[in-house]
Amino acid sequence: MESKVLFRLWTITDYEIEEQFLTEQHRAGWKFRRYVLPGFYFFDKCTPEEVVYRLDFDQAERGEKTEYLQLYRDYGWEYLFEVNGFSYFRKPVEPAEEDLEIFSDNYSRLEMVQRIFKRRMVPLLIVFLCCVMPQLLLQVSQSIREEYVAAKVLAGIFLVLFVVYVCLFIHCGIGIRRLKKKYEKM
Amino acid sequence: MQERIRRVYVPMTETGFYILFCLQEEMHGYNIGQRVKAMTGGEVSISPGTMYGTLSKMEKDGLIRFIREEEKRKLYRITELGQEILGIELRRIERLYKNSKGEYQNGE
Repeated sequence: MESKVLFRLWTITDYEIEEQFLTEQHRAGWKFRRYVLPGFYFFDKCTPEEVVYRLDFDQAERGEKTEYLQLYRDYGWEYLFEVNGFSYFRKPVEPAEEDLEIFSDNYSRLEMVQRIFKRRMVPLLIVFLCCVMPQLLLQVSQSIREEYVAAKVLAGIFLVLFVVYVCLFIHCGIGIRRLKKKYEKM
Repeated sequence: MQERIRRVYVPMTETGFYILFCLQEEMHGYNIGQRVKAMTGGEVSISPGTMYGTLSKMEKDGLIRFIREEEKRKLYRITELGQEILGIELRRIERLYKNSKGEYQNGE
């Protein structure tokens, strides 16, 4: 069977773009089969079809994944797998199925945004404040005092990490605000 | 009744109302979805993510109770607290309806 691999990175607040991306791939005749960290997408060639992809974030209660998935199955959703807390589902548009959303009110959409914030953003912030920040300060002050190359390299690594984290926070912060605004208005 | 429960559930979302109303009979999530669709002529549909979230929350808040499992599907039923909340909500909706027809609450 013909297949292809794409590389793509996305962050927690871009799940709607991810859904759109997979839907478009399927429309073009590429069926999503597998995902490998940090961002390899494996597709199999298929007949082009209108299939919607939807992502739910970490909603199943502990020890209840089977029942959770059964409910989705009852509604005609095929479960693919879970990546980083996101459960991937898909469903063909035909036969004349009007229910192509996994959330039917904005209240539950907002709750998903809140879950993402609580379980992903908050831990990241803690790691940033308790590890990246103090380490950066420590390494920088050490690399100024000492002549060792290793100290300078370490300081450099933490500086890069610091910049990555800050960019991530800005991106996700804007993303969460955008999602909230969108669902509060609808 | 706890003030928090009352504040959260009165007035209720349309989803919450239909789920609680249906659970006066023992049912699982998909059952409820189908029933609501039939009752409302397809005007109200409750998607699985919303259904799952609402059921979990109502169970935690003690409005509904898990009864048993059938082929991996959880069957629920309303509790006394749930019945109380539903009663408050029904009276509120009745009042809205009466008022919208120009009637006053005390039948004047």
